Amino acid sequence: MRLEIGNFQVKDVVFGEKTMFSNGVLSINKEEAMAFIKEDEHITELDIVIAKPGENTRIVPVKEAAEPRIRPDDRPVFPGVTGDVESAGSGRVHALKGCSVLGVGMHYGSFGDGLIDMGGEGAKYTLFSQLINICIVADTDEEFERFEQQKKNTAIRMATHRFAEYLGTAVKNLEPEEIETFELDPVTKRTEEVNKLPSVVLVMQPQSQMEELGYNDLVYGWDMNKYVPTFMHPNEVLDGALISGSFMPSSSKWSTYDFQNFPTIRELYKEHGKSINFLGVIMSNLNVSLEQKHRSAIFVAQMAKSLGADGAIVTEEGYGNPDADYILCLAALEDVGVKTVGISNECTGRDGASQPLVTLDEKANALVSTGNVSQLIELPPADKVIGELQALARDGLSGGWAYDEILGASVREDGSIIMENNAMFCGDRIPGWSTKTMKEF
Amino acid sequence: MVKEIERAGIPVVQMCNLIPVATTVGANKIVPTISIPYPLGDPLTSKEAQWKLRYHRVGVALDALTEDVKEQTVFKVKI
Amino acid sequence: MKKAIHYINQFFAGIGGEDTADYKPEIREGLVGPSLALNSMLDAEVTHTVICGDNFMGSNTDEAVEIILGFLEDKEFDIFVAGPAFQAGRYGVACGTICKAVKEKFNVPVITSMNVENPGVEMFKKDMYVFEGGKSAAKLRDDVKVMANFANKILKGEETGSADEEGFFPRGIRAQTWLESGKTAAERGVEMLIKKLNDAPYITELPIPKQDRVPIAEPIKDLSKANIAMVTTGGIVPVDNPDRIQSASATRWGRYDISKDERLEGGVYKTIHAGFDPAAADADPNVIMPIDAMKSYVKEGKIGKLHDYFYSTVGTGTTQAEAARMGREIVEKLKEDNVDGVIMTST
Repeated sequence: MRLEIGNFQVKDVVFGEKTMFSNGVLSINKEEAMAFIKEDEHITELDIVIAKPGENTRIVPVKEAAEPRIRPDDRPVFPGVTGDVESAGSGRVHALKGCSVLGVGMHYGSFGDGLIDMGGEGAKYTLFSQLINICIVADTDEEFERFEQQKKNTAIRMATHRFAEYLGTAVKNLEPEEIETFELDPVTKRTEEVNKLPSVVLVMQPQSQMEELGYNDLVYGWDMNKYVPTFMHPNEVLDGALISGSFMPSSSKWSTYDFQNFPTIRELYKEHGKSINFLGVIMSNLNVSLEQKHRSAIFVAQMAKSLGADGAIVTEEGYGNPDADYILCLAALEDVGVKTVGISNECTGRDGASQPLVTLDEKANALVSTGNVSQLIELPPADKVIGELQALARDGLSGGWAYDEILGASVREDGSIIMENNAMFCGDRIPGWSTKTMKEF
Repeated sequence: MVKEIERAGIPVVQMCNLIPVATTVGANKIVPTISIPYPLGDPLTSKEAQWKLRYHRVGVALDALTEDVKEQTVFKVKI
Repeated sequence: MKKAIHYINQFFAGIGGEDTADYKPEIREGLVGPSLALNSMLDAEVTHTVICGDNFMGSNTDEAVEIILGFLEDKEFDIFVAGPAFQAGRYGVACGTICKAVKEKFNVPVITSMNVENPGVEMFKKDMYVFEGGKSAAKLRDDVKVMANFANKILKGEETGSADEEGFFPRGIRAQTWLESGKTAAERGVEMLIKKLNDAPYITELPIPKQDRVPIAEPIKDLSKANIAMVTTGGIVPVDNPDRIQSASATRWGRYDISKDERLEGGVYKTIHAGFDPAAADADPNVIMPIDAMKSYVKEGKIGKLHDYFYSTVGTGTTQAEAARMGREIVEKLKEDNVDGVIMTST
């Protein structure tokens, strides 16, 4: 399977007469764009706001992020979501790099939503401070969940995916500045040179724990709660086959932007043919009951073994009880002789003294740590807020609170905030971006 | 929390679904439940079936309080 | 200039060896033995040196601590340093004991240094900065230097590094930090895997810690006379959540009177736990807190009594320290009511 990603570096995003891309500048006709997003009648109020790196701007509640892309051959960028179910991972896709579309609540947040600071001290806590963010700031008619802590956020999230594809049309017929090629021969049809290298799979555990549909990550538009592990081509992940859900505390979340650019996949590609033979991705899941967790670990270990994997990297979109899926999977792989490395964040508590994962096993002896979800973060007021700052305190975001006898509320009168890392949008960058680690102090 | 109760000399049984979490945390007597959101009654089953399951497993937990175990023990349940 | 006080034993004070180990605590103005080195490296003045015999501290700990805390009562100091104690076991334990007491009473930073073999390391590393020192006094200057460098950072209010970078024994506190190398998790993970595949050495970023076990409590002899209490970390509370228990990272708990209820009704009780889909428990809270089954067992005479209250908090993201504190607070209540056994439900 061969995928070409044609890159266009976006140096600036502006509103203009016409939605077009020229000389590194993405220009958006705001009126037309608004009309397009409002084609979904569930969007009742809408604004589009551009946030740039370095600005003293705070964005909250952020629900989703996606990289603007388009397929010159008219297949959907997110199959099963923005169009028909068609295969992803081969052919050509065009990408606007250095920017992302954010889905932001105009008023209301939910448990899995996050915060982004574009400048100042807070910028280091998320990757998205380094991107030009085209923010869909919207309210919806989803009254059934307006005051719920857990929200599906369907309208805003779907608007994000649709708008990412809409903006992609600006580069549909242009010649990319750079083309990245991702190609793996079929597992049994590889050269002797590649075959003699140690074989490696990537085991991904995307979030799928909500039994009610609509909150989980989707694969080809299919809710991953109703899914068992399967073997996938890494190109499918890079090419929009998976989209993010709306449940996990934000710092542990994998946004759609993360799936489209998954750094651990890119790194394995880099080593493919040099130091490893990258077999592909075992796409697993995260479960609620122990029986389900065991069953998935059995599927994963069996697939890895049958594929002839010598090594595996396992990574989870979450913390807390998903750690049980993560550790079980690492142990199951080690039990069948597959050497493992795990990548995840930790939850050592605000004091740093708690057990880092909820389950532990000595077999998990090679782990990469990407952050502490419960680290306390205090930040000064920002000049501008996109969305609604109160959401952090009022709406039950995983890292915010309305009341605390010692710390006070997360949002203070002067606009300064105190929060847990939990609510930093994709803050622990588990897909592989993280330059954070955990150390003993 | 289980450890603090046991440390005070009060026998305690932990009823939970994630056995590996309970064993890692250091619970000594464990009775399994069926899931995280509804440990003792699957809403997709009848009220009667939920009651039977809950009554049975709570009973196992009560009996476990009287058991003289020497190591971490996960008690078996029938339904 | 900031001020420091230094603790050393009788041997390093030049008073004598084993035969004088019963030496009672003494405080001297100015510098004695290793204090000279410390004073020369510290950005603070060592105003006093406390001297105590290792055996005196070991055999009359309470008295020794009381005397020394008394010495310090009217002194001004910004930091307290003990040792280095090298491999000397009793000296190491003495350094740890006095540092802990000083930290608790005066709330100033305390620092000591010991060799990894010193039993004081295991006893005190979680309570204070214990720097990894040499085996014998030949390393005196080096060990003092390491302590002084770190102390200087604290005195200046500078950020201190990790246990590895600074050279103290890990205190069991893990925190996130940005790697200077800028190496991403993807790069580190793939590199670690390649090393592991090639049987080359690698360093895990999360060493699996050893577990702490509690002895199993005596079982209940006669259940039919026993008073049983229910506790949950599943966040079942009255719908208005009167104790404002947080839905994650909880620091609060509540107890709710169920002496007159046959079961928990939906609409009266709900779950505030944010870690899972609450629909089932909101509709029927007994699926997490099975009061109905317990009441039935009371009626049948299987158990003597169900404790009048159930106890509730939220388990997700809650620190072990907070969970332990809440556990101890709940235990107090359970003991007041002579509870014989507990069933705890978790989600």
